[in-house]
Amino acid sequence: MTALFVDEYPAQARLVRAAFLTAFTAFGVGALFGLIQALHRTDVFRFLESETYYTVLTGHGVFLVITFAIFFLVGLYQWAVTVSLERGPVDMRISWTWYGLMSIGTLLVAISILAGFLDDPPTVLGSELSADVLFTFYAPLQAHPLFYAGLATFFIGIWLAGADWFRTWWVWKGNHPDERIPLPTFMVLMTMIMWYVGSIGVVVAIVVFLLPWSLEIIESVNPLLTRTLFWYFGHMVVYFWVLPAYLLWYNVLPKVSGGRLFSDPLARVVFILFVLLSTPVGIHHQYLDPGIAEGFKFIAMTNTMFLLLPSLLTAFTVVASMEHGARQLGGKGTFGWLRALPWRNPAFTGMALAGAVFAFGGFTGIVNAGMNINYLVHNSLWVSGHIHTQVGTASALTFMAGTYWLIPQLTGNQLISRRLGLIQVVLWFIGIVFMTNSMYRAGLFGVPRRTAEPQYGFEYDVGVGSMAELDAQIALGGTLLFISAMLFLGLLLLTVFNTDSEPIVDGSIPPALSGPEDSPRVLDNLRLWTAIALVLVALAYTLPLAAIVSRGGLLGPDVNPFPVVIDGLKILQYVLPSIEVVPI
Amino acid sequence: MRIHTYEKLWLVASMVLIVGFIATVTYGSVGLGITMIGDDESTIAPDDIGDDDQFGEPRVEQVGEDEYEAYVIAQTWTFQPDPIEVPAGSKVTFYVTSPDVVHGFAVPGTNINAMVIPGETAQLSVEFDEPGEYGIICNEYCGAGHHDMEGELIVQPEDEFDLTELTVEALESVEPGADVELTVTIENGELDPLETTVDTEISNETIQQDITVEGDSTENISITIDSEDLGEGDHDWTVSVDGYEETGTVTVEPPGTDGNETDADGDGDDSADTKTNETTGGGGT
Repeated sequence: MTALFVDEYPAQARLVRAAFLTAFTAFGVGALFGLIQALHRTDVFRFLESETYYTVLTGHGVFLVITFAIFFLVGLYQWAVTVSLERGPVDMRISWTWYGLMSIGTLLVAISILAGFLDDPPTVLGSELSADVLFTFYAPLQAHPLFYAGLATFFIGIWLAGADWFRTWWVWKGNHPDERIPLPTFMVLMTMIMWYVGSIGVVVAIVVFLLPWSLEIIESVNPLLTRTLFWYFGHMVVYFWVLPAYLLWYNVLPKVSGGRLFSDPLARVVFILFVLLSTPVGIHHQYLDPGIAEGFKFIAMTNTMFLLLPSLLTAFTVVASMEHGARQLGGKGTFGWLRALPWRNPAFTGMALAGAVFAFGGFTGIVNAGMNINYLVHNSLWVSGHIHTQVGTASALTFMAGTYWLIPQLTGNQLISRRLGLIQVVLWFIGIVFMTNSMYRAGLFGVPRRTAEPQYGFEYDVGVGSMAELDAQIALGGTLLFISAMLFLGLLLLTVFNTDSEPIVDGSIPPALSGPEDSPRVLDNLRLWTAIALVLVALAYTLPLAAIVSRGGLLGPDVNPFPVVIDGLKILQYVLPSIEVVPI
Repeated sequence: MRIHTYEKLWLVASMVLIVGFIATVTYGSVGLGITMIGDDESTIAPDDIGDDDQFGEPRVEQVGEDEYEAYVIAQTWTFQPDPIEVPAGSKVTFYVTSPDVVHGFAVPGTNINAMVIPGETAQLSVEFDEPGEYGIICNEYCGAGHHDMEGELIVQPEDEFDLTELTVEALESVEPGADVELTVTIENGELDPLETTVDTEISNETIQQDITVEGDSTENISITIDSEDLGEGDHDWTVSVDGYEETGTVTVEPPGTDGNETDADGDGDDSADTKTNETTGGGGT
């Protein structure tokens, strides 16, 4: 048993704990908002105006997929780099700087979103504070400048974090000239290359167009252009949420299964494939957008299908590693080994259930990716089902399970109750099954996502079951998920204060069955993979972006901004442009 | 690179699966002809929509035998026209644009689904085989009233569908002794000629007149009744054509009233004392 992380790297443990604290605070708020939505849109319990639902929805998206997922990522990656390179960053002040930038950015974004709950939001910088624009902030919906400025600050913080890890690795490399990059660090560096390549789009959209536009420096934007730049980033970012889970599945899951990773070389190949393919596919989110030629959509479709490959490879390696572990623990038979797995360990069970949900959700993703089938499901509740199985479970449940394993090493305290932890992860699984199976089904009948009241003047043609039954499942699932989230946070809080205890966890990660020596060194050539990724992005995006700009211009065909906080009179002016509104 | 035999098999199977998926989508495009919304339409500035040939008047238009075009505006928080009416057994091409924010144009229960982006026009063609009634919803968040944005799509039985528009202009009052004149305008938006009968009822008189309106054109007829036959007082009139009906009332003034309100040539150019009703689309009652 090696020394505890907190004892060996106290300064880094503090940073990781700070990142996790921010992540889990956001998780708590986001989970509460999720519960409100589940009850509101199904009309089980409505205590907010439906207008305010969109403030809740924006907060749910931003706090969970931006704040929670990415703060967890930086915490986990700081841990992974530190343990696998066996050293801290060159300068911890830089590390705290990126943490600070990300936190300030989050705060600005959170303030601008939460102002939506006020009846009379304050005026800041000459405009009313608001950001009911959802996680995708499609122009001409316009948020307050603070929202865009906060996002930009947050992104700069992430860039700096990546640079910090690259610098740590660079110094390590100087001291270990002939060694292969340790797998966890390799995964961190590849994820960050993917992030650098893929975040260009959204940063350009925000810094060049949306922020100046919200400050009235430029008069209009091209909505199709900013939207396309968003989606250039928008599919890469889903892998940014999922890859920390992959890191845990490849490194921690085999270990808690009682064995070791099956194949280090294929783990590297998987991460390389994500670097290459995760960005030149973004147009598959725009299959139904006018102004983008069908050919470009077809190319995005084929690229997307090949993205299945790294996930299928992962399924094999992870299951093979689990089987190896089970057999070490005495498991026998073709399927009998499954019984030998440590199902009482919440870290194991959480990750295994998350992986199972991910496999199912992956196939629903094929439906989304299937260009012409996309007509059936685009913007329907099916898509919400997909994101909740993938990010909401594959990532989030793995993060929680991984936290059960990590938290004793980060605090030196024993997890307060493994049994409650087990109940928590199983509860999450049950909740997500109720909620997403009904979301998928409702989506197929055309029930839309992102709406406060999906009840209309017509009746949905529900093939099997009824709308009432689907709504009940969503409300029940959402409630179970919320209880599970609160249970998790409660366990975490008690563990943090459980100082009078011995942490019983072995933080060491055994080497893979087939190690890096079984693979060619070219896999570690980061420059090569970056260059190929950039070429693929250029091939996939140069022509579509050029076409969009030549059609509508950089700033669009005179599109007027549409600030989202609008008082009644202004709404009437939009709805009834021909009627002169006389204030009473 | 050393790869386990099972893993090699898995890799091959994965590639077969991926190529299979791409093949099915390709078959959907090439074999079944499911095309994607593309970039065929030119951009349109939101402020120009009101003056545009296509979107200035949102409508359904016949462009060929069993072929129609629908020009639709999605705007916070309505769809125009509403309802959209098309015949069964037809192919309808929708053109949808937005003057304000990004909207969705989706018909639950079908695969009609498009993003509506200001500056761009979504074009999609749909075949309607069977009559039916559907809801149209906006499925992209578009502001505080997003959930109220709803329209109606009615696919009418082929024999009940028309693009006939009936307008009747008439004076509200006439001097005794003058003629009561109803100007009936029938617009035929379909390509085939419309052969029909105009039925006019006023007091107890019934007048029938046959009329043929050529495809994609408009005909006017005048119906004249001597006010002396009607007598002094209020007289209700009804004009009906193919199930469309317009009604109104004309007053024959008592003798000696100042005849200022009379419009000598009866063309109703004084809008204050004419009554105009319009009915569009619809279908037989």
